Amino acid sequence: MTTQTRPSGDEETGTSSRPWTAVLAERVPVRRIILVALGIFITVGVVLGSFKTLTLQEGRISAAGWRDFLIAGIALGSIYALIALGYSLVYGILLMINFAHGEVFMMGAFASFYVAESLDSAGMLDRNPVLSILILLVTATIASMAVAVLLERVAYRPLRNAPRLVPLITAIGASLFLQYSAASLFGSNSKGYPDIAALDGEWKILGIPIAKVLVVTIVTAAVMMAALTWFITRTRTGKAMRAVAEDKEIASLMGINVNRVIVTTFAVGGFLAGVAGVMFALVFGLVQYNMGFIPGIKAFTAAVLGGIGSVTGAAVGALILGVVESVAPVLLLSGFHVPAPNQLRDVVAFSILVLVLIFRPGGIFGSGEPERG
Amino acid sequence: MPGSQLTRQAVRAGLIGGAALVYVALTGMVEKFDSRNLIGSFLTLGNLLIALPPLLSGYLATRPRVVGGQREALAPRGAVTAGLLSGAIVGGVTAAGVALVELLPEGAVRRIFIQVSPELLNILTFGRGVPVGLVLLVLYGAVLGLLGGGFRLLPARIAQPVGIGLATTLTFALLQRIFPPLLFELGLDTRWLYSPILLGLTIPGALLVFAVSAGLTVLWSTRGSAAVHKRLDPLPPERRRVVNAIIALVIAAALLVLPQLIGSTLSQVLGQVGVFLLMGLGLNIVVGYAGLLDLGYVAFFATGAYLTALFTGANRVTSIGDLVAPAFVLHLNFYLAVPLVIAVTAMVGVLIGAPVLRLRGDYLAIVTLGFGEIARVLVQSSWLQEFTGGPQGLRDVTDAAIGGFGFRDPQPFFYLVLVFCVLAIFVSLRLANSRVGRAWSAMREDELAAEAMGVSTTKYKLLAFAMGAAVGCLSGTLFAVQIGSIASGSFTILVSITVLAIVILGGMGSIPGVVVGTLLLIGLPGLLDEFEEYRLLIYGAALIMIMVLRPQGLVPNVRRMRELQEEETAQDQWLKQEEAESASAITVGGGGAS
Repeated sequence: MTTQTRPSGDEETGTSSRPWTAVLAERVPVRRIILVALGIFITVGVVLGSFKTLTLQEGRISAAGWRDFLIAGIALGSIYALIALGYSLVYGILLMINFAHGEVFMMGAFASFYVAESLDSAGMLDRNPVLSILILLVTATIASMAVAVLLERVAYRPLRNAPRLVPLITAIGASLFLQYSAASLFGSNSKGYPDIAALDGEWKILGIPIAKVLVVTIVTAAVMMAALTWFITRTRTGKAMRAVAEDKEIASLMGINVNRVIVTTFAVGGFLAGVAGVMFALVFGLVQYNMGFIPGIKAFTAAVLGGIGSVTGAAVGALILGVVESVAPVLLLSGFHVPAPNQLRDVVAFSILVLVLIFRPGGIFGSGEPERG
Repeated sequence: MPGSQLTRQAVRAGLIGGAALVYVALTGMVEKFDSRNLIGSFLTLGNLLIALPPLLSGYLATRPRVVGGQREALAPRGAVTAGLLSGAIVGGVTAAGVALVELLPEGAVRRIFIQVSPELLNILTFGRGVPVGLVLLVLYGAVLGLLGGGFRLLPARIAQPVGIGLATTLTFALLQRIFPPLLFELGLDTRWLYSPILLGLTIPGALLVFAVSAGLTVLWSTRGSAAVHKRLDPLPPERRRVVNAIIALVIAAALLVLPQLIGSTLSQVLGQVGVFLLMGLGLNIVVGYAGLLDLGYVAFFATGAYLTALFTGANRVTSIGDLVAPAFVLHLNFYLAVPLVIAVTAMVGVLIGAPVLRLRGDYLAIVTLGFGEIARVLVQSSWLQEFTGGPQGLRDVTDAAIGGFGFRDPQPFFYLVLVFCVLAIFVSLRLANSRVGRAWSAMREDELAAEAMGVSTTKYKLLAFAMGAAVGCLSGTLFAVQIGSIASGSFTILVSITVLAIVILGGMGSIPGVVVGTLLLIGLPGLLDEFEEYRLLIYGAALIMIMVLRPQGLVPNVRRMRELQEEETAQDQWLKQEEAESASAITVGGGGAS
């Protein structure tokens, strides 16, 4: 790669007869040049943008402002983490992207919405908020698990040995189908989630005021992730899941019912998505048929960022994504006087997805080797 | 086939059919589709939706089992009872659902499932109210299930014409907005065929269509097919080319007069079909030929549209409502701008493709999805408002006029689209049969093997992205000049997925497939308004069903077909294994005779 001229051994390798453009195309590492240029461009942009924003003369954001961005980012990240785990678990076992996982999350949120409405009209939400939230979680998880398991049975199991793109295409179809089923069955307008009075206001934690609903979200997510880690590392089923992820055939030779493990995996992913659905609805206060799509893709981004297939990776990736998405648009763009930088938060998230897949497809906790084949 | 096995199969088919019927009822399809008459007022689209689940489950319940690569014979009594049982279960499940709605307090179900209206219950109980209607529903299901099961017992020489006759009648009924004006313009009185008040086929008309199509099928299979082959097969290649050319000319002539005959509303639908056909052709190159799943295809559509507007001249609306020129605008002639747009979009394709080339298939899909979403957010953002008009989009895009002859009206626009489509089809055909096309299919089937055979995968992948982008951007170009304005909300991920559904449904890599896919997925909803609301729902279901049941698509690519057929032998082997495992009661040899 040190020289652009033809090496002298051309006659031996038989390239001398080829047109010079072909030779040039091989000699110039176009891909690498684009990558390096992209890397430099992004680094310069990030550094310059943050510097300009932080030294902004007017409209500078106070420390408390940044802190709020950070906390909102962590809360959002913990919701993403719960969804991302579902992607990661399924990918770990089936090596397929369950594109419809965002819709599993949405269905959980919808189920809990109807229960929440009933509880609200019965006055339960105010009288006994803790029990109410538990009931909401139970309904949402049951609904999400049912959808996830059904999805596996109808759309994925018949195609388990098909080429890899085939289940991805059905997954896209399933995503579309579930989204617009919800739109037709429940109506396409967004529905206001009943307010839980006990979650209004703030708690002071270590002197920092944090909205109660965000605290509940972060704590719930943390508990769920701890429980999942316990489930995977300590239980017999968890062991079976790891074995199937390692090698399906050998696992089945060892007497593991692979089908059952796969169904369990989908159910566990659905369970976490259901919890995420309730949290999301509580934080943002509404449910809508398409609420699962963008969070779904972002959670997938988080899973890829952390290293898909890894539980810790999904959690860490989601937290990073949540924080970056919440902080980065303002931090990087307001210095350049870009109007309404928050419009571009999705761009930030998707750019991270693209960049991770380009530079480090294995993710943070992965091998770092670009996958191919 | 042992009775218990058949019963289990029937119960299963019945439960699935029942779930399907309850589902279509809950989504509101039954009620909305009920206003579309197909045959007189005797069969509406809603009736059809109620009739299909029991009919199909009866048909599925009597599915003959394949043992040892051979079909088991179906006992007539078994088929009758299985069909009857499964159909009755479909009716029973639905009746139970209706009863549940009636038993629960008023409005309890409707609070969640908003489409459960008294009208829907009325349709489902045939207007007879609860106790009587429910019995009728079960009986109705049983009779249709019986018909579905009984269809299996017909010998092929009867079943085929009946099936084709029914399908043709249904097609005629569904195309009720196309045929009457077409025939009327041709000087035919169609009142005896299509009812002017109910819009659908008249009952004598439907019978006639059925009789003629079934009769023609019989004639074709007994005489015509052999006769045509006898005439055509010995023809030398050059003469056969002449025959093909004549067929092509007839189709071309039909397409040229079509917009004049069907009027401007339907021409608009055709224009829409053309725009999506172009996108489908472009994506077909990327997905079908090269096997790269691109979910961000809308990015090229958007690039094409915005570049066309900026190159030929357009205005944007400011926040206070003034019309101003975007920050960058050229005033080129449309036909000069198009090659420029193609070149730039192809370059964008390469730029998007280059960094992601080494990713594995499903990751590539997600990254391109990310690109598509980035494109959507960017065109809508305030940041690029100077160029793209932000959320308000662009207006007053210069028309693609040639010497004062404008293309903005639906009928002239159709001709413009037609020219572009013919060009794109020509390019696609030539590419498929070229060295490049062969390199692509080698790459698609086995990348490592292709590389080992000296195919530069980098080069051909980039070429696929560039060609796909170049063809796809034409649809954006046409979109921009069609109504002369670009709405920023037109570039969602749903466009990418719609185009993907078109390519998948038709058959990856098959140009007739793309045409059929576009006609079905864009044309049909354009003709029947009630489909519009359920369009995306149906696309989703179609994607799943086609992948599970017929992964090669409706009109498969010939070469792909051959590849799939080679697998058939292996599949028989697999089936045999499955049978031996699942049914230990059946001896493999016992059911082999058929």
